[in-house]
Amino acid sequence: MKRRLGLAVLLMLSAALRCRSASPPGKPVLIGCRSPEKETFTCWWEPGFNGGLPTRHRLFYEKEGSEEVHECPDYWSAGKNSCFFGKEQTSIWVEYSLTVVAFNALGNTSSDLFKIDDVMKIVKPYTPENVTVLVNDTANTPYLCVSWNHPPKVDTKSGWTTIKYELRVQKEDNKPEIFHPNKKNSFKVYNVDPGATYTVDMRCQLDQSSWSEWSTASVVKIPNYFQNEKPFWILVSIFSVIPLLATICIVVLKRKFVKQWLLPPVPGPKIRGVDVQLLKSGRAEDVINALIGNQNFPPAAAWMDQTEEYLLVSDSNDWLLTDPYISQKKKSLVIPAGVQLEIQCRTSAPAQSDCENAEVGKDGKVEPDHLAQTKESVLNVAAPSVSSGSKEAASGNAAGPTGYVGIQQHKGTQGAGPNAAQWDYSWVKEVNGETIFILKNEDAAAGWTVPGWEENTAADYSRVKEVNGDDVVLLQKHDSADSSCKKKEDRSAEWTNQKAKSRHGSDCGKGACLQIAGNGYVDSVPRFYVE
Amino acid sequence: MQAKMEQGKRKGKVAKQKETKTDQRLRKETEMAQSRTSGGKLFMAVVYMLATCRAVPINDLLNRASERSDEMYSLSTGLTKDLASHMSPLSWPAMERPALCHTSVLPTPNDKEQTLQVSESALMSLVRSLLQAWAEPLVILSNHASTLPHPARINISNKIQNLQDYSKRLGDGLDILSGKMGPEAQVVSILPYHGGTDLGHDRNSKLQKFNFLLSCFRRDSHKIDSFLKVLRCRAAKMQPELC
Repeated sequence: MKRRLGLAVLLMLSAALRCRSASPPGKPVLIGCRSPEKETFTCWWEPGFNGGLPTRHRLFYEKEGSEEVHECPDYWSAGKNSCFFGKEQTSIWVEYSLTVVAFNALGNTSSDLFKIDDVMKIVKPYTPENVTVLVNDTANTPYLCVSWNHPPKVDTKSGWTTIKYELRVQKEDNKPEIFHPNKKNSFKVYNVDPGATYTVDMRCQLDQSSWSEWSTASVVKIPNYFQNEKPFWILVSIFSVIPLLATICIVVLKRKFVKQWLLPPVPGPKIRGVDVQLLKSGRAEDVINALIGNQNFPPAAAWMDQTEEYLLVSDSNDWLLTDPYISQKKKSLVIPAGVQLEIQCRTSAPAQSDCENAEVGKDGKVEPDHLAQTKESVLNVAAPSVSSGSKEAASGNAAGPTGYVGIQQHKGTQGAGPNAAQWDYSWVKEVNGETIFILKNEDAAAGWTVPGWEENTAADYSRVKEVNGDDVVLLQKHDSADSSCKKKEDRSAEWTNQKAKSRHGSDCGKGACLQIAGNGYVDSVPRFYVE
Repeated sequence: MQAKMEQGKRKGKVAKQKETKTDQRLRKETEMAQSRTSGGKLFMAVVYMLATCRAVPINDLLNRASERSDEMYSLSTGLTKDLASHMSPLSWPAMERPALCHTSVLPTPNDKEQTLQVSESALMSLVRSLLQAWAEPLVILSNHASTLPHPARINISNKIQNLQDYSKRLGDGLDILSGKMGPEAQVVSILPYHGGTDLGHDRNSKLQKFNFLLSCFRRDSHKIDSFLKVLRCRAAKMQPELC
């Protein structure tokens, strides 16, 4: 009996114990909510002790501004113990009040109220997708090219969300660098060191919301270019050092040569024929001799390049026939008696002394040899001869070998008028070329006889063609051309005729009578005539 | 002698008068010529300005406005974070909203679909109304910021002043923008603030009210930012990078 009672009590106790393990559910706790794209959100809770009985959880929420209680629309999409609020149930800028209630057979338990002030506060996007890092090595300045896609499910087309990215680059174990790319899909990281290892990851944010998780890190190593190129640079440096050393050796060993070649000596000033030492000695005479004495000064007339001969014919200094026109033409000169002939010899070659000699010929010789050299034997001039001791301007006329030349004797000055001069008449001994040999101290007859023409004379003789009256002597300029010789002959005939004519009608009286044609010279053109 | 001097003086005077007259005439003539040329130039300048002013596209204006609103919103979020910091959760008054924000009376779209369905002019009107509604409360906030019983009040005060500045600039820009949009954009709803000019008497109520106002402002500034960005994306069809 007692045993039966004991067993019954035991059974009842065990039954009672079994009944006591079931209890109403424990209080669930809302962990949190999250909106990944600002259009939906999900909330999770933690269930309490279930009381040993199957419990069921339900979520109820209220929206701001209405008292209506809604229940969670979706308990399964987001997993266990979660509630997914879809687009229709989600309102931004609206406060939500959430409660989770656990139900079991014995009762129910509610969680604390969970308020969502603004769905924006629970926005947290997913990580950016496909974060890839490439090492771009152009021209020894490598850089990292990071590219990514927007986080999933986020709307980027309508402007509803603005995504901001953050990029983190960490070199080996240093402090990471943060970058904020402006572009949506790519970013370049410069300032990377070759040979180093970099860790790159990214995260993003929607409209100042919470940041997403960091993406999975990409690790890259930048190849070390410098090491690869080291042997190259070593070779280059070796090959450049060798020629450098060689040039240095050459320069050092051949100092003088190099110096001469680089900096050639500048010649000092030097005067030919002058001894520098002599100048330095300082003696005046030596200096002057050195500077001047060695010079061969060209004759003063050397500068006259043109072979011009001027014949100055002046009658009592009034008649100076200095015409450059002369030099170009063949001329004959008609010189009246009493006219002084002043020879100015202008030739290229000879010394002035020749002319001087022509004037001052002591032995009566006139040697204007140079005259023969002239291109245009302009004038046949009776070179004056000088009686011993006194200067005489040659006056008179060139005559043939048998002619007389009148030589005016100057005493002292040359400017004396014809009246003042005394005339000496000399017999012209010979005309040789252009030289007139005059015999001195011969008294000439009062009259003159005109020598006949000598047609056989050499072309370079100077002749007196005609003496016309007391005053006029026709000088024939001689030239070497045969034609002109012929002309001469013709002219001579003319002249004689003319002379016959002109004797009568001659205007020549005493004093100067000169037919001036043009510029005062009688031209060789057959208009020579004397009236 | 004297008579002569006087005569000379008179002559001199007359000459001077003549001179001044000619000078004046010359001056007038030059002025007229100058004014003619300057008038011509002015005319040309005005024409050019009109031509160029007309050419500022709405895209640019919306872009600038969006940038302003983004700055404003980030400032306001920073502010709320500053306020929430330095306070231990225990001493922090219960985060209960004592009332609805004074701008809640204005019906605004609350999600993406609704926002995308609203016309541009209506959106612009909403934005302008919201912005206008916060002009006065911002003044109250800035007045009380410096005396706020909070360790970071100087920082908060500076930020609120910046907020006022941004708000004003954005308002001016939106006035210009709305002129280029439809007539609905010109409608600005007036949302008066009835919260009073002071925040309360004790520390807790002050902080609470301050916090409440700031959170309302943050929300509204985010609305403004979102709407403007939607408008910007809609206007810049040829520039998808702006969306």
